[in-house]
Amino acid sequence: MQDYSNSSKKYTNRPFPIITAANLKKTYGGVTVLNIPSIHIRHGESFGLVGNNGAGKTTFFRLILDLIEATTGEVQVDGNTVAHRDDWKSKVGSFLDESFLIDFLTPEEYFDFTAKLYNKSEGDISTFLESMKDFFNGEILGSGKLIRDLSKGNQKKTGIAAALISHPKILILDEPFTALDPTSQIRLKKMLNELKTLGNMTMLISSHDLNHVTEVCDRIVVLEKGLIVKDILTSENTLKELESYFAV
Amino acid sequence: MYKTLFKHYWLQSVRSPSYYKNLIVNIFAGLMALYFISILVMLGLVLPKLLQEIAPQSNPADIFNGSIIYAMLALLLIRYVMQPLSRLNIESYQVLPVKRDTLVNYLLIKPLLNPLNYLVFCFVIPFVITGIYPTFGIVSSFRFLFITIFLIWFNTLMALLLKRKFSNIFIGTLALLTIVAGLAALEYFKIFSLFSMSQDIFGFLIQTPFVWFSVIFMSLLSFLLNKLFFAHNYYPESFERKSKKRESGTQQFTFMERFGKIGEFITLEMKLVLRHKRTKSTLYTALFFLLYGLIFYPNPIYNESAGWLLFVAIFVTGTGMLMFGQWIINWDGSHFDFLMTRNIDTHTYIRANYTLMLALCIVSFIATTPYFLFGRQIIIYHLVAFVYNAGVNIYVYLFAATLNTKRLELSKGSSMNMQGVSYKNFLVMVPLLVIPITLIKVFELFSAINIALIIISLFGIVGILFREQLLRVIEKQFLRRKYALCKGFRKKE
Repeated sequence: MQDYSNSSKKYTNRPFPIITAANLKKTYGGVTVLNIPSIHIRHGESFGLVGNNGAGKTTFFRLILDLIEATTGEVQVDGNTVAHRDDWKSKVGSFLDESFLIDFLTPEEYFDFTAKLYNKSEGDISTFLESMKDFFNGEILGSGKLIRDLSKGNQKKTGIAAALISHPKILILDEPFTALDPTSQIRLKKMLNELKTLGNMTMLISSHDLNHVTEVCDRIVVLEKGLIVKDILTSENTLKELESYFAV
Repeated sequence: MYKTLFKHYWLQSVRSPSYYKNLIVNIFAGLMALYFISILVMLGLVLPKLLQEIAPQSNPADIFNGSIIYAMLALLLIRYVMQPLSRLNIESYQVLPVKRDTLVNYLLIKPLLNPLNYLVFCFVIPFVITGIYPTFGIVSSFRFLFITIFLIWFNTLMALLLKRKFSNIFIGTLALLTIVAGLAALEYFKIFSLFSMSQDIFGFLIQTPFVWFSVIFMSLLSFLLNKLFFAHNYYPESFERKSKKRESGTQQFTFMERFGKIGEFITLEMKLVLRHKRTKSTLYTALFFLLYGLIFYPNPIYNESAGWLLFVAIFVTGTGMLMFGQWIINWDGSHFDFLMTRNIDTHTYIRANYTLMLALCIVSFIATTPYFLFGRQIIIYHLVAFVYNAGVNIYVYLFAATLNTKRLELSKGSSMNMQGVSYKNFLVMVPLLVIPITLIKVFELFSAINIALIIISLFGIVGILFREQLLRVIEKQFLRRKYALCKGFRKKE
């Protein structure tokens, strides 16, 4: 086991942190589900979060998105506190679960509504949807179905696409690979890698699939019972290291 | 097997979270039910007398027999609109080794066990005691009661069949209404009298043992028709989700776009209303409630009481806002995380909800302007009520919305659905109705109703003038409650 505070020193020569959390703690009825004394996520970094069920991955994401209130400490995005504020919302695209979907809309209406909230024009929307064509695999647009009638996989694709529609500086995805078919998983990985290299997007991705997350992320943090137990830069040994860690 | 199935049904209703968690709501619902039951009982007791006064030459039983078919058609219509289809959890049984036949029978019998069906007896029993027993004796009275049971079964099963066959409620309702209206017209122009036919049939039947045969036959027939339907449509997808494909109705709402984010948001809420069962039936109910004034305004008992007039005025002019306002913010529960993480700030979100409520308020007010024909008094009351709704109640609703953290299940059930209702919904009524009515009642004692009306409208005007400040208070409250709302909405019942 490696001390995360040592390893995070490796990043000091990299760009400024875009997300920072200090003394961040979340307690439910006396049980601490997340405890992060300090973490910095740099601009342009692709940050992978792994851990077993109940490790605190989603809790961490929800704290960043101000959906739950921290017991102590705070999260900052671009130097500003997120709690009780609205300004971070224009910079962050996110998809955690189905409550990020509006299930009584068709996918088109949903994309349209989301894009309008970010002041995108009709042209922006159609360009974006055109770029998503491969990922959608011809199943999402034009079917006339409401989102609630789509399959789980297609719902997930819709949610991921809507998180990307505003070209956010920061992208937060919770378990983006589950429920996707193999082709879509590969396409998603390709897409995320492109966004990272071309778009310089900061990404926070949680996954149970160690393969996928090591392929997409250049920094991987392992959570266990709310604590950061590993914080490593991805190398060819990372997958092995993670596999041996989880093989208990 | 049946025993297990019905036991599960029982457990399901007893263990539904709203059953025991929500004591206060249940008490309120109970009081409401008591109110309706007592009205029904009273009606049953006095109806024979009333009938004698209206038509002294004929006896109550004859008139009652004559209206049975009409009553059944009307009840069928109500059932068709309100009765939920029973289909819950059937899929989890379909995969188990249970006979199809058993499941179908279970599905069909289950709605017959619903106690609401037998509410009619609150009316029928008193009616039989005062209207049938004195002239026809005890045997006929019991016959009458049993016939009612079979007719209820027939009606329930037919409503289910119609509902399954014609899943478009709106068109179905229109069709049924047309049929009823057509029959009424034939009756009116004395071309064909369903009334006398009904009178002949039931008048004859009720005197003979033959009646058993016919009503049992009717119930059985409706049961078998349902079974026949299921024989062809056993799989749920064949009748439940007929309209899976839907044309996106964006075009109809494009006019809202010019209002920016608030317009987009209101468009979203309009779609929400039109694409969920529960909200749609509330919409129909709201249209119905607009007519509420017709019961009160022509009646001297009410239109000379300031309290009643104000109550009805607030209720009718605010129908839209009062019906949908109780769900505001809560109905965003299923996509609340989305709204909280997108680029829509709290100010805009609260403002959008406010605008929506105000729009509903204005629409209902305009829709009720025909009541102005009832005279100057009504115009004054309506204006006062409108100002009060737009200046006070609107904020009360928005504020109260932040307190109710229950997730609303909009796609489930429709009428008499208390899911997601908490005592807070009733707490709202205090400033909503109790305060202005108490006020006007007190001033009525000193015969200074006008002063009360002025005070009430002043409340409203102050509320409208200080809109920004009040909305800011609500924004602050919303931010305080945001996490509790997020948490509550994530919990599915």
